[in-house]
Amino acid sequence: MNRRDFLRNTALITGGSMIAPSLFAKDALGSKSALTDKVTILHTNDTHSNIDPFPDNHAKYPGRGGVSRRFEAIEAVRASEENVLLLDAGDIFQGTPYFNMFGGVLEMKLMTQLGYDAATMGNHDFDGGMDGFKSAKEYADFPFICSNYDFSNTELDGLTEPYTIFKKGKYKVGVFGVGVELDGLVPDNKYGETQYLDPVEMATNYAAKLKEEGCDLIICLSHLGYTYEDKERMSDVNLARKTKDIHLIIGGHTHTFLDKPVEEKNADGKTVLINQVGWAGINLGRIDFYFEKAEFKQDIILIE
Amino acid sequence: MIRNVIIALILGAGLWACSDVYTISAEYEPIVITDDISSNASIDSMISPYQRQLSATMDEVIAYAPNDFTKGRPNASLNNWATDAVFYNSIFTSTDSLDLEKVPMMCLLNVGGLRNPINKGDVTVGDIFKLMPFDNEVVWVEMPWDTQDEIIDYLKKKGGEPIAGAVLDGDTLLFPTPAEKMDTYWVLTSDYLMNGGDKMDFFEKKVSYQYTNRLMRDVMLDAAKKQDTLVFDHEPRITL
Repeated sequence: MNRRDFLRNTALITGGSMIAPSLFAKDALGSKSALTDKVTILHTNDTHSNIDPFPDNHAKYPGRGGVSRRFEAIEAVRASEENVLLLDAGDIFQGTPYFNMFGGVLEMKLMTQLGYDAATMGNHDFDGGMDGFKSAKEYADFPFICSNYDFSNTELDGLTEPYTIFKKGKYKVGVFGVGVELDGLVPDNKYGETQYLDPVEMATNYAAKLKEEGCDLIICLSHLGYTYEDKERMSDVNLARKTKDIHLIIGGHTHTFLDKPVEEKNADGKTVLINQVGWAGINLGRIDFYFEKAEFKQDIILIE
Repeated sequence: MIRNVIIALILGAGLWACSDVYTISAEYEPIVITDDISSNASIDSMISPYQRQLSATMDEVIAYAPNDFTKGRPNASLNNWATDAVFYNSIFTSTDSLDLEKVPMMCLLNVGGLRNPINKGDVTVGDIFKLMPFDNEVVWVEMPWDTQDEIIDYLKKKGGEPIAGAVLDGDTLLFPTPAEKMDTYWVLTSDYLMNGGDKMDFFEKKVSYQYTNRLMRDVMLDAAKKQDTLVFDHEPRITL
């Protein structure tokens, strides 16, 4: 079902009573949403140095993935959309001998060539130590956004951003990033004096900051993991529930293949979307956000 | 099959000082990366020099295997080879002086971590990468003396895991060097196992530990190069 069919059907089902009449009425009449009223988010996570496609005899994902094809897919989207943002939720490194041999340089070069707008750091991005990350990062022409790692006493001081605001057409998109606790996950000599800050607190602060700055869309890049057996453990689901003002959490770490973005209610009872596209660049996430000026509050609809 | 999902979501109205209030609807359409999508010549040309260098390295022959080395329980030739590689190479390349207190008594790995057999014939760098693709590091773990029973129970429950140095004879671990009771003993293993991998919970009782900054794989690569013809040892080390 394409968007317009869906909207038409929805308008019939609901009679427009529960939802913004203007939004659906316009589409039901068949007028096309202008490209300028839209921001397209493309995203990956846990690509783990998978440069080449999986071999055809791969047990689970034969022939899938590959950076070169990903580039073509991204370019196809860019050819038809005006406001595209390409993001990664960390664990760029580790998983194939490309990383062992070249220390992440090729990954950074390729992500730059693919036109990534930003990424956050995953735990495996520390695998070459902070000096290893630093040398590879010299080939990256995009920011690393880390809001809850305090690198001030380390050699990464000043090399990452706590948040970034992208101007896409008439919209401001604010992005910040939260990483997983490194203690117990990464050998301590690889993250040195990095201070781990509470992800909920930092997410709360930076989402508020981005809102103050007038961002129309607030995105959290997260390497916390989608959710865990131990429900108390910090995860994207818990982060979504305990914070406010975030619209989308692009997750990673747990290599979760979500069929579609999961909806959670935040501390204000508003919807937060969480999405994650597995690992290894097998899929590229694409979420189109359509903006329409509103006059009153509405609640969320999710229909497949 | 690409699924389309539409989610309309609300931005908090009113609170958005100095900016417009928007209703946002979100449409999800993942892009599946398959060979239906062509590759890009300029990206391919960026990759190919690295790819060539990588295959040159991976294809380098570093040793000869006189037999197939396979893993198994309770004993197997690959179990012995892999643990010996870590046990012997880690002792003699350690920067620590050979203080008796710090000589490891055993190496303990896991069958699950040995990802590929070594086949009879030429052994390449790539073969060792397949055997040990993970970047796990060799660690020294100092264990209280009385944790031996837990290790014994674990080995029995699992039906055996790769060990070197010590041998398991029924209910007793026989160590290579002094048999008299000490406060602690040192075990060589991987950081993955020390940190709770494969539920080796006894490592939680460790008194201290030391990272070596050496990957298991690098230690195995060195062992293969030194041996030249891999030492084939299928003598049982575990008698349940």
